[in-house]
Amino acid sequence: MLRKNTYNEFVKILSKPRSFLGIGALTLLILLIIFAMKADGKSIISFVTASFEQTLSFNGHILNGYLIAFIILQMLIVHVPLLVALVTGDLISGEAAMGTIRMLATKPISRTKIVLSKFIAGAIYTLILILWMGFLAVIVSQWIFGTGDLIVLNSDGLTILQEQDILWRFGAGFMVAYLALLTVSSLSICLSAFAENSIGPIVATMAIIILFTIIGTLDVSIFDTIKPYLFTTHMASWRSFFENPVDMGTIMESVLILVVHNILLVALAIWKFNRKDITS
Amino acid sequence: MKTLLSILLLLPLVGLAQSSAKLNKVITKLNTVKDYSVDVEVKADIPMIKILPSKAKVYFKQKDKFKVVSKGIVILPKQGFSEINTFLSDKSKYMAIEGDTSKIAGVVVQLITVIPSGEDNEIILAKLWVDDSRSLIIKTQITTKSNGTVTTNYTYGDMAKFALPSKMVFEIDVKKFKLPKSVAADINQRSTEKKDDKRTKGSITVNLSNYKVNTGLSDELFKKKS
Amino acid sequence: MSNTIIKVQHLSKRFGTFQAVKDVSFEVNKGDVFGFLGPNGAGKSTTIRCLLSLIKADAGSLELFGKNLSSDRNEILRQTGSIIEKPDFYKYMSARKNLEVFARISGADVDASDIQNMLEFVGLGDRGPHKVGGFSHGMKQRLGIAQTLLHNPELIILDEPTTGLDPQGIIEVRNLILKLKNEQHKTILLSSHQLSEIELIANRMVIINKGVSIVEGEVAELLNSTELMVSYEVENANDLVNYLTNAKPALHFQVISDRIVEIALNKNEVPALTEELIHARIRIHAIEPKRKLEDYFMKIIAS
Repeated sequence: MLRKNTYNEFVKILSKPRSFLGIGALTLLILLIIFAMKADGKSIISFVTASFEQTLSFNGHILNGYLIAFIILQMLIVHVPLLVALVTGDLISGEAAMGTIRMLATKPISRTKIVLSKFIAGAIYTLILILWMGFLAVIVSQWIFGTGDLIVLNSDGLTILQEQDILWRFGAGFMVAYLALLTVSSLSICLSAFAENSIGPIVATMAIIILFTIIGTLDVSIFDTIKPYLFTTHMASWRSFFENPVDMGTIMESVLILVVHNILLVALAIWKFNRKDITS
Repeated sequence: MKTLLSILLLLPLVGLAQSSAKLNKVITKLNTVKDYSVDVEVKADIPMIKILPSKAKVYFKQKDKFKVVSKGIVILPKQGFSEINTFLSDKSKYMAIEGDTSKIAGVVVQLITVIPSGEDNEIILAKLWVDDSRSLIIKTQITTKSNGTVTTNYTYGDMAKFALPSKMVFEIDVKKFKLPKSVAADINQRSTEKKDDKRTKGSITVNLSNYKVNTGLSDELFKKKS
Repeated sequence: MSNTIIKVQHLSKRFGTFQAVKDVSFEVNKGDVFGFLGPNGAGKSTTIRCLLSLIKADAGSLELFGKNLSSDRNEILRQTGSIIEKPDFYKYMSARKNLEVFARISGADVDASDIQNMLEFVGLGDRGPHKVGGFSHGMKQRLGIAQTLLHNPELIILDEPTTGLDPQGIIEVRNLILKLKNEQHKTILLSSHQLSEIELIANRMVIINKGVSIVEGEVAELLNSTELMVSYEVENANDLVNYLTNAKPALHFQVISDRIVEIALNKNEVPALTEELIHARIRIHAIEPKRKLEDYFMKIIAS
């Protein structure tokens, strides 16, 4: 029954216009970035290397597909969570608002399976979103800009990664980025279990992400205790794959924290939905 | 690299009272090379930059055509190269003074100091340590107004007869390296502790091999692709 | 095997400080069309939602098909179909797709031809590909019935199924219910404000008020145990009044107009009185019993 209802949930997601709005918006954003980089990418590179270029000259094919892919991933990390929440935040509360939750909850499927199937369908949608993003960012960018070494600006300086050493980093980076987006999906579904309207969980999800991100970036030692446990702190862990050497310990710590967040959020959603009196 | 060779080629224009003969011998040797191509392996050890050893091919043609071709990203020093090139082309703009002899890596070398005469030059001071017995430059130290000092050490192999080095080690100033402010906020940071590399100098080691000298390189090779 | 399909005992449910259901008990037998009656706010919807596990009861027991609802929920719901208030569907999907979605988790093997047959059965055969967002209320109600019957449930729970339907729609629903009872021997729990409909099709009923069940039993028995108000339309009401006053002083009656008098009678007294009036040369134009259930219902609620 879990498999059947997961299929149902996915059919419902694909039937909603806003699901394609998200994919369309993402496509447009990425194509815009690619167009901008094609038109004036060199000045963006100069911005990054400006202070080094007084003393050094950087030779080689810097403006390549890998750099564009990295920039796309970097720029969209704030926007893609919204596109995820737009669809997944609606999964329970949207049905409550529409009244269909009543029809669903009188079927011979447990409420736990209802929530799990929504979570899985949301996870599949999020996967499609990130795979599409990966395809446009990595494959299409390579097709337009070619390949080469990747120059990455981290908080401790420039890291230059060799071409043959990049693809696996993108693969692993996208996997961790997916886990981060999955956490957003779980958060929005959890909030959806508490609400009776469509828009509330979506707005609440974004507000939480923004608040936690601000706390995470404030250079104030009083927040040092909680920063490691905020899921937003770990949402950019994918970037750690573009350091040299890769700090697998830190990355695995982030993965663990994100996995724990997912488990707790789904458990909370299941608990709430099981206790809920459906009066709508 | 490019600018260094340009310096050496233009040195005949320098009006040297006492060391011109020694410099002239070096310049004469360098002038035997009309063009060359060479494979380089570059290892950079610079604060705030992490890069693995990278390979490139360098092309040079008299008097100042220079090109680096690489698949990957290669970092080479830039400081003071083009300025010294323009500077040495005008004999009236500097004075050369022969200094003491010393030893570098067991080799006896003669110091020649080049001092600009005007105030509007980018180069403040250039020092050359020359191995007179072989007419080879062993070390240079060039100081510019905006980019600090670059010190270069040369090692020669079987291309010494053309005064083409097999190894160059550049030591550069990194005090002015700064990250753009927009990157300063790292959303990946877990605490307020910062990791800082306090070194003020970095080095770039260039190993040169497989020289092909005087093959008649075409000017087309050096044209920039649009 | 037990004949009892639904057994509710001492059900209670509170929402905050509001006691929606205090003490409701009733039983529905196999093959019943069971009327579930009560004024607005009596607790009917809450009780039905408890039966369908939409709401968790605070106390009491709920047994369907001899099984406890808390422990055998899925098995019970596999045999149950329901419409609660107005049926809601996914507006952005077609009628067919909506039925496919619900059929997939109904626990039964339902294929595309079953869905098409059901759409035709409810008169929506050619509306399968159309989005439900464009459906009228009546069409949604019919689609709701289709969704309820698609997996061939033993028990059908209908909460106000004729709300918003036109007279033809109401008749269609009534005929469908009778068909389901008589031909397919389904058990139907029917909550409705249309007392005339309940009177026509229900064989058993319970009336609840203020969260408490008041009376339960066979419809005919309950109604026959009380007096009818029979309306006699005559040539001259005064003639009838004079006769009743003189010959039948024990009878209660009420003059409605110069031609109509309502007389309180038991059902089996009607033929005898009518014959007497004819012998007394009182010209009778029409005899009409007042709606029994409506009257009965109002009396029960008032008491």
